[in-house]
Amino acid sequence: MVSRAKAKLLMVLAIGLLSLFVLLVVSWSLGAVDIPFSDTLGYLLNIISNFGPDMSVPQERIIWDRVVRSVAVIGVGIGLSVSGVVMQALIRNPLVDPYVTGISSGAALGATLSLLAGVAIIPLAGFATPMAAFVGAIGAFLLTMALAETSGGRSVNYVLSGIIIGIAISSFTTLLIVFSENHRLRGALFWLYGSFSYITWVESLIIILTVLVLSLVLLLFARELNVILLGDEHARHLGLNVKGFKTISILIVSVLTAVSVAFCGIIGFLGLIVPHSARMLVGGDHRLLIPASMMVGANVLLLADIVARIALRPVELPIGAIISMVGAPFFIYLMYKRGKEYGV
Amino acid sequence: MASETQISLTIEGIRFGYNGSDILENVEFEARSGELIGLIGPNGSGKSTLLRLMNGILRPKAGTILMEGRDLNKMKVDEIARVCANVPTEFNEDFNLSVQELVSLGRYPFAKGLWWDSTEDEGLVEAAMRKYGVHHLKDRRFSELSSGEGQRVLLAKAMVQCPRIMLVDEPSAHLDLRYKLEVMEHLREMLSGNVTIVIASHDLNLLAKYCDKVMILSKGKIVGMGTPREVITAEMVEAVYGVEVAIIDDGDGIFAIPRRTRRKGT
Repeated sequence: MVSRAKAKLLMVLAIGLLSLFVLLVVSWSLGAVDIPFSDTLGYLLNIISNFGPDMSVPQERIIWDRVVRSVAVIGVGIGLSVSGVVMQALIRNPLVDPYVTGISSGAALGATLSLLAGVAIIPLAGFATPMAAFVGAIGAFLLTMALAETSGGRSVNYVLSGIIIGIAISSFTTLLIVFSENHRLRGALFWLYGSFSYITWVESLIIILTVLVLSLVLLLFARELNVILLGDEHARHLGLNVKGFKTISILIVSVLTAVSVAFCGIIGFLGLIVPHSARMLVGGDHRLLIPASMMVGANVLLLADIVARIALRPVELPIGAIISMVGAPFFIYLMYKRGKEYGV
Repeated sequence: MASETQISLTIEGIRFGYNGSDILENVEFEARSGELIGLIGPNGSGKSTLLRLMNGILRPKAGTILMEGRDLNKMKVDEIARVCANVPTEFNEDFNLSVQELVSLGRYPFAKGLWWDSTEDEGLVEAAMRKYGVHHLKDRRFSELSSGEGQRVLLAKAMVQCPRIMLVDEPSAHLDLRYKLEVMEHLREMLSGNVTIVIASHDLNLLAKYCDKVMILSKGKIVGMGTPREVITAEMVEAVYGVEVAIIDDGDGIFAIPRRTRRKGT
């Protein structure tokens, strides 16, 4: 069965990489301005061989921007999907997503605060908003964990704590936006719907590196994640230090999610639908499920990004809205079909 | 002969309870390798609690438990897992694990490879699935199985853990007549490999037929311990369960046939 599992994994990776390559070329070629596919790769080779775009060639500048953006999209796609897989295993509920711990609300509050107040307290001026979002995300996460642990530490406690903290924090954000000046509103809305429009190459690099390193760590935990599916008590029977393992992996997932949210805002449903689709493809073994989710997540978000950019061009749609438009019906379908089996 | 066998579990003066009220009081016994011990008692008598103390999930308030001579309190969870396997009564899994994937989790305490299971582990998994008659279900999702099939999968999972102590909670609940006997026969087979098995069950007759020793728990105390013939008597069952029974001895074993509940005060 190991040989079969290996073959399955190789196939998932091969198909995933192939379609990712096709989507990447499409993503670099299409947009407000179209560049023929055949030229795209040529320009790209120039960029690589010159260690950067020749700013005097407009096509190279455009392609460079799209490359930077696609790297961030892939990073966030992978990060949110892996986070979703791990969060679902840890909380033992297939209907949760990585935002269940209130991270998204915390990040939104942080970002809104920094945008509306125009804070530049943090030394890295350009990073003020992502930093504020990151701090907000981790803060909300710690609050949720504290509440969940003190109220019993069962999966239902985590879910409820996340919802309650999330709603409480969101109400602050709403008040802030209501009392803010109009021109700053757009910036805040950016966080609420998710966007890759303003991503810089440094940010892209931070996202992709963090995501790849942390996903690799979680991949090494694949066997432990399989064991934790059996429930806390049974996992202990099998010799897993449940408390330590949960603490470490929830921390990793939170950082992983917070990095995505901090730079790109809230992209809902991805962390929910990707793990489910991947489970349908390869089953529940995390040794297959995590790599498969990484592949599906990168592909789905890249596709959504292409749609967001070209569907109503030159207007760009918020990518979070695109994902949600597909994600909400999918989620409803899941609840309708399997909700009874999945009681919290 | 008794001197050759090893003591695998020593329970000394165990007391346990939640919020001041004791669930178990002064429980003491020894289990030796090669013994199949039945644990019976009415609902709420403390059977499951006792099992959870023996596998280290719960810690006693007083007394000590020695697992193969070592203080259970000082053993790490992974050390316990390499000695002791558990078969729970019920178990929910909604994450699309296949039967084969689930059974192979039993090898987790011994996992050496970083990623894939070794061929040796795979062999053990195959053998265990065949033994418990779930091999033909190996690619099915665990959550789709009937309760009886699920129970046999859990037994197979415990078997690949190659335990020296096995704690089984109500193995016969969802099994039909044939599988009930088969499961007990498989467990007896495992004993020859010097395993100690403790089974908690409500099925007096099944335990009486297969167990070397039977222990009766009532209100957190051990009220009877010995061979099935010594322990399962009409007086004992009436005192513990409040049920009048007829004990039938067919020469091969004994059977308790329930007659009627004893009304209070009569």
